[in-house]
Amino acid sequence: MELSKKTTKGWQVIEVNGQVDSKTVGDLRDYLDENIKGDLPVALELSDVPFMSSAGLRTMLTLYRKTQDMNVKLCLVGLIEEIAETMKVTGFYQYFTNYPSLSALPEEQK
Amino acid sequence: MTIIERIDQRSTETINGYKVRPGKPLPFGASLIQNGINFSIYSSAGTSCTLVLFAKEQDQPLVEIQIPENYKIGDVYSIIVFDVNPEEIEYGYRIDGPHNPGAGHRFNRAEILMDPYARLISGRDEWGKKPNWERPYPYRARVPFDDFDWQDDRPLEIDPADLVIYELHVRGFTKDGSSGVSHPGTYAGLVEKIPYLKQLGINAVELMPIFEFDEFENSRIHPETNEQLYNYWGYSTLGFFAPKAAFASTGKFGMQVDEFKQLVKSLHAAGIEVILDVVFNHTAEGNENGPTLSFKGLDNKTYYMLTPEGYYFNFSGTGNTLNCNNPVVRSLVLDCLRYWAAEYHIDGFRFDLASILGRDPWGAPLSNPPLLETLAFDPILSSCKLIAEAWDAGGLYQVGTFPAFGRWGEWNGKYRDCARKFLKGDQGQIGEIAQRLQGSPDLYKHTGRSPATSVNFITCHDGFTLSDLVSFNEKHNEANGEGNNDGNNDNLSWNCGAEGWSDDPNILQLRQRQMMNAMALLLTSRGIPMIVMGDEVGRSQHGNNNAYCLDSPISWLDWKLLDSNQSLHDFTKALIHFRLQHPALRVNSFDNKHTYSIDMPGCSFHGAEPWKPNWDENSRQLAWMMTSEPQTTSNEADMVYVAANMAHYASWYELPKAPASYQWILNFNTGDTNCQHFTPGNELAQNGILVGERSIAIITASKIKPESTI
Repeated sequence: MELSKKTTKGWQVIEVNGQVDSKTVGDLRDYLDENIKGDLPVALELSDVPFMSSAGLRTMLTLYRKTQDMNVKLCLVGLIEEIAETMKVTGFYQYFTNYPSLSALPEEQK
Repeated sequence: MTIIERIDQRSTETINGYKVRPGKPLPFGASLIQNGINFSIYSSAGTSCTLVLFAKEQDQPLVEIQIPENYKIGDVYSIIVFDVNPEEIEYGYRIDGPHNPGAGHRFNRAEILMDPYARLISGRDEWGKKPNWERPYPYRARVPFDDFDWQDDRPLEIDPADLVIYELHVRGFTKDGSSGVSHPGTYAGLVEKIPYLKQLGINAVELMPIFEFDEFENSRIHPETNEQLYNYWGYSTLGFFAPKAAFASTGKFGMQVDEFKQLVKSLHAAGIEVILDVVFNHTAEGNENGPTLSFKGLDNKTYYMLTPEGYYFNFSGTGNTLNCNNPVVRSLVLDCLRYWAAEYHIDGFRFDLASILGRDPWGAPLSNPPLLETLAFDPILSSCKLIAEAWDAGGLYQVGTFPAFGRWGEWNGKYRDCARKFLKGDQGQIGEIAQRLQGSPDLYKHTGRSPATSVNFITCHDGFTLSDLVSFNEKHNEANGEGNNDGNNDNLSWNCGAEGWSDDPNILQLRQRQMMNAMALLLTSRGIPMIVMGDEVGRSQHGNNNAYCLDSPISWLDWKLLDSNQSLHDFTKALIHFRLQHPALRVNSFDNKHTYSIDMPGCSFHGAEPWKPNWDENSRQLAWMMTSEPQTTSNEADMVYVAANMAHYASWYELPKAPASYQWILNFNTGDTNCQHFTPGNELAQNGILVGERSIAIITASKIKPESTI
């Protein structure tokens, strides 16, 4: 799994590349803990994530609860259709604002 | 805050390369803890226990860890294994011990056994996908996360008297292409059809078995049609704590737990309760010729009722009988139901062949079965509906006498039988049907039970559908491949003049009317009405009254019927809503309190003349009137008068005199070929109505509005 960050339109964008499952989810969680700052909304760019296991989806929801506690907005970007469908039928999807691409992200005022 | 590291997060020794320490005996099963998994398993007569771990989907074990003898407390082996990935692990056990069937012991160390407390089971993840029959340990226990975010959901706790139950098969409900859902035949597919259920008006679904089972158990090819036959209904449990993976669109990802919880949450959001059809009377291990999957090899003598020679008692008709009043098995059943109620927010349970649960270890019926009492008074289950199928295959029939402990309801088989006979015009039914439609006080009043004890039904998954009940005199089960020898021969059905398919308009019209009559009778009876999937649109199984093995359009709901039988659907829907609007139909007491505001009895019977029911053996005509005092939100008493004429000629029914300032309104008339239900209702021109042959009219009394008195 490759992870990187950048800032776009007032969002801190975390780009994830690779499968998110129980083997990689620890790396993702650690990276998010280290890099998410409490002063900007967070966008997780997932268009290069081909599969997300049950453990991966749980990390998404834990992140949602964490950003909720921090009073920081969270959205998902570029989720592929198969993962989106799995998230819908298992109840994970409803928590997130989703955008098809970074260009669709609204401008955020700090 | 400083988090103090727990001592038990560290291993004490290494076995076969895996860090371990003594586990905790409770809870049973496999539980996620920080850094590891706690495994706990019971065996009273086993002499050693080995935990077998597999990497997911691999044939050969990853490691076998014999649980050290000093890890055992009482009869429970427990061990914590550290640094294993719960998502990548499958597990089972080998138990050593005597193999002496005559003494009840069938230990065999060569078999890998499934944990009876497994909450996630892989091996049959996609419905109908041919298994590898050579695979060792075919059904594999896994460890779920069990951390679903329920938000503010909780069981609905709808008053039992207000329930309208819809029995359905998860796969059959949406598998047909006509369902139009994205995930046919799954929990997710059912979610997509919640708007349909909501508009129909039902407020509880009763799901046919969703505990993990193997659709390939006893599967075979039909000798004439070559059709693959399955264990489609699933009344043969593999794992009591695990939802059926192949009913989940995400079963292939092992996410059936979340998908099923999302279904429950979605149904609750629509105001619909979830009742599970649970099968505790037997397991999928069969008799001495059946496979050893779990209980047989763990502690055969504890889990099964055995003859003195060590053979299996067969009160279930399927080979074995779970020994439910053994204290260990009792705890398993209790743990299981608590788990489903607490972890899945399940609202109620219907117990298949529940009379078995009241037998002692040698099969004799108990007067105060401890299991039934335990369930009745359990603090976690206190709001759950407990419904018994109050008979078993060993000849015990307990409708009306099931040990209820003030809590248990019953599938009322006597309601079904009498309603069927009354509807087809059998003589001598008037007296009994009067009991049945009051909630069967003859069965339940003397023991202090209430009308909502009685789950009233005319059809269920077992037997003819409603459409077939009015189209066939005989069963036609050839598709099951058993030479039409399976299924009940005594269906109490009437084909209305031709067996099966007919294009005679008179026959078709009569059948349609008879289906409406059945719905009218069911939905105006006190007690809990239950209808089976598709009866509201006239679903047929072509005369098959036992489609347990058919995963085909015979068993599936054809959603195109919604168009072709729209009048029956609209009639049923209107009736369900009518029932929910009329508290007089849902009075949950046998006191028959007088309704003083209108000076009428709570329940009264009538004939062609008011207050004069004809109880004669040859009578086929009965009217009943149910009343109740005004609700807090209204100043109008509720009155529902139902005139049923099952004779082959029309009759004039004179109505009781309406109370002062009230008028009679016709709401339903199955005998009116132009219109069977009237919204908002037609004021009756006279104080009576001509009820056509084999027809039912439903009439209410409403206060006369001021402008209509001018």
